[in-house]
Amino acid sequence: MKPGSRAKRNDGEFAYLFLRSPAAIVASVLVVLTVGGALLAPWIARSDPFDPGTYDLTDAFTPPVWSPEGESRFVLGTDDQGRDLLASILYGARLSLRIALSAMGLAAVVGVSIGLIAGYYGGWFDAVVMRIADVQLSLPAILTALLVDGISLTIISESASTEFRATVITVAIALSLWVNFARTTRAAVFVERNKEYVQASVMMGERPRRILGIQILPNVLAPLLVIMTVDLGRAILLEATLSFLGVGLPPNQPSLGTLIRIGMNYVFSGEWWILWIPATFLVTMVISVNLFGDFLRDYFNPRLR
Amino acid sequence: MIRKIMTILVLIALIAGTATATGTSESDSQSTDVVFRWATTTDPQTMDPHAVNAAPVLSFLNNIYEGLVRRNEQMDIEPSLATSWEPLSDGDGWRFFLREGVTFHNGDAFTADDVLFSYERGTSETSDVTSWFAPVTDVVVVDDFTVDILTSAPNPLFPDSIANWMIMSRSWAEENASTAPATDQENFATRNANGTGPFVLSSRSPGVETRLVPNTAWWDDLEHNLSEAIYTPIENQSTALSALLSGEIDLVNPVPLQDVDRVEAAPGFTVLGGLETRVIMLGFGHEKEQLDYSTDVTGVNPFQDVRVRQAVYQAINVDDIINVVMRGQAEPASQLLPAGLSGYSIVNDDRLPYDPVASRRLLTEAGYPNGFSFGLMCPNDRYLNDEAVCRAVTSMLADVGLQAELTTHPVRNYWGELREDAYDMYLLGWSPGTFDAEHPIRFLVSTPNEEARLGSWNYGGYSNARVDELLPEIQSELDPATRQAQIDEIAAIIQDDVVYVPMYTQPLIWAMADSVDLVQRPDNFFMLRWVNVN
Amino acid sequence: MGFYVLRRLSQSVFVMLAVAFLAFALFRFAGDPVMQMTGVETPPEQQQAIREQLGLTDPFVAQFTRFVGELLRGDFGFSFRTRQPVAEMIRDALPATGELGLVAMAISLLVGIPAGMLTALRPKGFASQSVLLMTLVGVSLPTFVTGIVLIFLFGVVLGWLPTFGRGQTVSIGWWTSNLLARGGWRSLILPALSLALYQLTLTMRLVRAQMMEVLRTDHIRFALARGVPRWRVYVRHALPNSLIPVMTVIGLQFGGIIAFSIVTESVFQWPGLGLLLLRSIRFVDVPVMSVYLVFIGLLFVIINLAVDLLYAVVDPRVRIRSGE
Repeated sequence: MKPGSRAKRNDGEFAYLFLRSPAAIVASVLVVLTVGGALLAPWIARSDPFDPGTYDLTDAFTPPVWSPEGESRFVLGTDDQGRDLLASILYGARLSLRIALSAMGLAAVVGVSIGLIAGYYGGWFDAVVMRIADVQLSLPAILTALLVDGISLTIISESASTEFRATVITVAIALSLWVNFARTTRAAVFVERNKEYVQASVMMGERPRRILGIQILPNVLAPLLVIMTVDLGRAILLEATLSFLGVGLPPNQPSLGTLIRIGMNYVFSGEWWILWIPATFLVTMVISVNLFGDFLRDYFNPRLR
Repeated sequence: MIRKIMTILVLIALIAGTATATGTSESDSQSTDVVFRWATTTDPQTMDPHAVNAAPVLSFLNNIYEGLVRRNEQMDIEPSLATSWEPLSDGDGWRFFLREGVTFHNGDAFTADDVLFSYERGTSETSDVTSWFAPVTDVVVVDDFTVDILTSAPNPLFPDSIANWMIMSRSWAEENASTAPATDQENFATRNANGTGPFVLSSRSPGVETRLVPNTAWWDDLEHNLSEAIYTPIENQSTALSALLSGEIDLVNPVPLQDVDRVEAAPGFTVLGGLETRVIMLGFGHEKEQLDYSTDVTGVNPFQDVRVRQAVYQAINVDDIINVVMRGQAEPASQLLPAGLSGYSIVNDDRLPYDPVASRRLLTEAGYPNGFSFGLMCPNDRYLNDEAVCRAVTSMLADVGLQAELTTHPVRNYWGELREDAYDMYLLGWSPGTFDAEHPIRFLVSTPNEEARLGSWNYGGYSNARVDELLPEIQSELDPATRQAQIDEIAAIIQDDVVYVPMYTQPLIWAMADSVDLVQRPDNFFMLRWVNVN
Repeated sequence: MGFYVLRRLSQSVFVMLAVAFLAFALFRFAGDPVMQMTGVETPPEQQQAIREQLGLTDPFVAQFTRFVGELLRGDFGFSFRTRQPVAEMIRDALPATGELGLVAMAISLLVGIPAGMLTALRPKGFASQSVLLMTLVGVSLPTFVTGIVLIFLFGVVLGWLPTFGRGQTVSIGWWTSNLLARGGWRSLILPALSLALYQLTLTMRLVRAQMMEVLRTDHIRFALARGVPRWRVYVRHALPNSLIPVMTVIGLQFGGIIAFSIVTESVFQWPGLGLLLLRSIRFVDVPVMSVYLVFIGLLFVIINLAVDLLYAVVDPRVRIRSGE
């Protein structure tokens, strides 16, 4: 991915290439289905799995509707609390997506800003920031999450609420993703900064903020977009892994990862749907996001085609 | 280049050849050996019997060390290193007559001096088992095989309370500079053991593997047929179950309740189920002036009203929890200790019935016809399916209008949060260490008092003058009928006041290969001396 | 060059201090170790006494200074849980993770590089498309799910391989080895596979992208036009050029392997550093957690440093740019 390697192309080409790539079509259909389902959860789902008054323990462990003991009320069956699995998955995916998107967004904003400044000015800021990036890289995301989690637990007493946990996880994931954005941006700025047109602007007394925003930033957007899609997939998986390790979201408002963690308890017990249906949904969602990312990368970087 | 690589490879092979091989190969090569392998979730953190008063440690070390008394299959006290005991005729306390001819694993002879030493060690500053000796004023060596243990008041239960007080050899501890338990850094006794018990510690790799071999010089009759026992901690329960089903492990404790059917369906495996002595209950913040986690009630604490507490009690369908979450493997509980233990109050055996209508009526009477919201705090890795139980409780309480905001913590944070009062209602499990009704009263119900060491787990701060008045009497009353009457009175107070909502007695599920034959004790202690592998 | 190395070294010291600080701050807040160290019957004032004895009640700055001071003197302290010396615990766990990571990395490179080449050379072929799809699935599967599936399939259903632990090992000094033990490699297969899966897809994708770049360069095109046999061009000219960034990959992979070994080791009960860390977190074993982090930080710093210096040797522009 060489930044700035792509000439501007028109939208017709995007559509043409898109329609020629079966993978991209499948991916976008899946993205629409999973993401759309997640976004529309409150209107599609028959019950609200976050409201403990709406489900009944005696409905627990109902298999999906195609099994002999299935019930039409619960298309994908119920979990260990009698919650409709379909509704839980849709709501859970919504929560997962919200966390992944905001973590990715936060990481992009922070990472790109830091990368622009570090790449343009260099000097001590660059040195400090890049060493911080080294520190960050040496802390695996799981540890970062534990760090943020542990500190916030002590400092803020309300820390147990779902809203707060979601924020903690968002920050933790963002912390482990920003380095990628910063490094890519910084590298691209290095290249662009020495090009004639930028040098010319500098000599003409253009303000640095303007040079960065109008001249340099657009040229690094393409690789950043690719990183974004890849990182979105990573963020979804990270949230799931954190929830699996028990530092994720609480079980009364489960994300996809929490649903999988609950399902792991039933991996041997015959109630396969509690694990495998949310897990399949998660994998499908991540695969489709990644497929779409691949397509974007190929589109922006035609030499790879 | 290639020659260089060859030389290196040959060198590596030579080193590997001379290196010592560890692992399964040695024991497997002799087919007559009976090797028993078992796994639990928690590795005993030390081999020192006085350093940590926790079940995983005491359970494991009971195979290596022995006390003056021990518990049999039915949990009754029977002679061990003491052959008999009697109350002292002059003054309060007990006289123990010791077994003669017993030797420690290193060959040292066992005498009364080792008992005195183990008392000194158990009451030393760094010991974690000092609470066992709270009533003891002195230990006197009468002769080599007679010891007097003096107590501050008549103490009928003392012999019952010292089954886990393990005797260590004075000379061994002194030779190895381990006369007191280690707190900040290990000493010899942390990873080595020298008891009188049926098994000898042969190797210890903390967190990985611990091996035991039978004590050939043990004083008692052998009831096992093992030639080696290998213990492995496996934290992940799915992994442990896989290890059992693939034949790499002979016994797993505990088995997730939901996997019981899976194990029983697999040919060659059985599940051994029983009831643990642990009662799972809900606790309230009695002392709180107001709810900390409510969105609609301010300035008051509705749980101070006994009607609200009873409403909580009657809104929870314990039978459904047992049938669904506990897979039918638990028993409803009406008191803070399970039925059948010493001091259990038979006259207070009945639970209040599940009755959401009555629950709503009580809430209306108390002034909360539409319920209210509050915070419920639960551990998520401490008791069997604790988190699922709390979610079920949340759902049931929502049916009568009580909106519980559930937060769960791993146990490493949970106790701290409890101490910080970060709850309005919480989940607690209690297993009476002495297997007597006095234990939960002392820890969970009597008014908290640090100096007198009372109520140290009464986090809600419940206080009742009559309970505090009766407790010392229960502790020293010698007449069983009078004592039971006193306990019955307290049990009635606890029930009428709904101090806690006892829900069920936790089950105890072990899974093992069919070839294994053993005894499961209700305290969840795993005793190798009853294990036979056919 | 000498100045560059010095500069880089001083920066590494700064990084290590920051890691130590984070490690310490993190685990100060992880929970209350004393509740884990004592039994239920231990009275609160005795717990408080232990807290004071361990220095947990001292001010934060004092604790941190002591921690760094002891680290510098080579005193890594004692575990709260087992009371063992922490250095010894790390040393005992290191071989397990080392071999697991090494094998996982070997799998990922040995499979990833040829697969990357294949998909770059024949991007439209059926094999390439299937490989690409498979790696996509690999990247999208959570490590903990693949682990359990592998255990269930090969351990329980087929019964071919051990489901947990290291099995047979030989000790050479303090290093315990699976690879050199007879039959020990069997225990290594499943965890290494599950750990390698994610790394493999990364390697493959990187090699593919790099190879495609290289194939477009003039000297390759020229060689092909001149009629040099295709395989010869690919293997002798294209591959070496596309392998330069693999140096970076190995550095990056190390991070991934350390992070995901936490999950893999917990699923396979593999007695390495990851399991040690998880167990320490469960028991709030602050000294072990802190030293673990500092140790991992040190490894990262060394590897980053080595990669950077190698680059500086290979590509003088790096030196000039960083030295300005």
